[in-house]
Amino acid sequence: MSAPTGQSLHPGLNLGEEHGDDHLEAETSVFGFWVFMMSDLVTFGMFFAVFATTMPLACCPGPKELFDFGSIAWQTAFLLLSSVTSGMAVLTMKQEHGGRGACTKKLVFWLLLTVLLGCGFLYREISDFISMAAAGGPPTRSGYLSALWSLVGLHGLHVTGGIIWCLVIVVGVLVRGVDRRWKLALLRWALFWHFLDVVWIFIFSFVFLGGLL
Amino acid sequence: MKKSKELHHYLTGFALAAVLTIIPFTLVATVGGARSYIVLVLCAILQVIVHLRFFLHLSFRGQQKEDLQLVLFTGFILFLMIGGTIWVLGDLYTRM
Repeated sequence: MSAPTGQSLHPGLNLGEEHGDDHLEAETSVFGFWVFMMSDLVTFGMFFAVFATTMPLACCPGPKELFDFGSIAWQTAFLLLSSVTSGMAVLTMKQEHGGRGACTKKLVFWLLLTVLLGCGFLYREISDFISMAAAGGPPTRSGYLSALWSLVGLHGLHVTGGIIWCLVIVVGVLVRGVDRRWKLALLRWALFWHFLDVVWIFIFSFVFLGGLL
Repeated sequence: MKKSKELHHYLTGFALAAVLTIIPFTLVATVGGARSYIVLVLCAILQVIVHLRFFLHLSFRGQQKEDLQLVLFTGFILFLMIGGTIWVLGDLYTRM
């Protein structure tokens, strides 16, 4: 069931006609990935629902004692910038790897820059976790803290997974070249990375900023 | 021409997302209060739309029907599960 070329075949950046069969092939695998992402979104939704039903107790340190405003701002900046650089990576692939033998240096540069920004995010998030635990807010202290740690931690795990996936793609692209397999992997990874930034919008708005208000 | 248009698309999305991030952060840092919460929610919703439109390229023009159904159904499930959880537990809380 292939739509006429030129038209977008799946939500997300399409490879386009100049990629020939790779473009058509992407339809099934990217749609399948959307199904996964949407079910992952439901998982995040449930963690949010649990978080929404808890509140900081008087017994333990609350958001104002535990959250580091500057660090949250840094994490948000890192993730938003990395979302753009991942977009640059997938755009480079689309625009320059339609034919054969295009230079992969630019693509690898954007991918590694994304990894670097992702690591910056993780570094700040993990330091925050450590200082939260030190300030008397480990996940075992209250229901609110359990929900907070598991929601933010689940997102952090996803980011870690995204970084590892990106590194695998970098190696694959360098060893095998930008062939169909890695093109489809890149399309899906870029969607995943943007998706994580969308989830982060909810986390920084409702969990962190909402808690600090 | 088409190439620079695609790049422009990402950069527009970035500019909009950056503004919609800076607004809530400045509000929380300076003003605070319950009134800011409305702006916070508004900015979050707008930014999600910006991300979907400019980064995830979600547009339903010329899309096959299943894509739209997938996203809408997920939205529906989320609404039921999150809304239901908050409703039931909120109700219990007021009865306690």
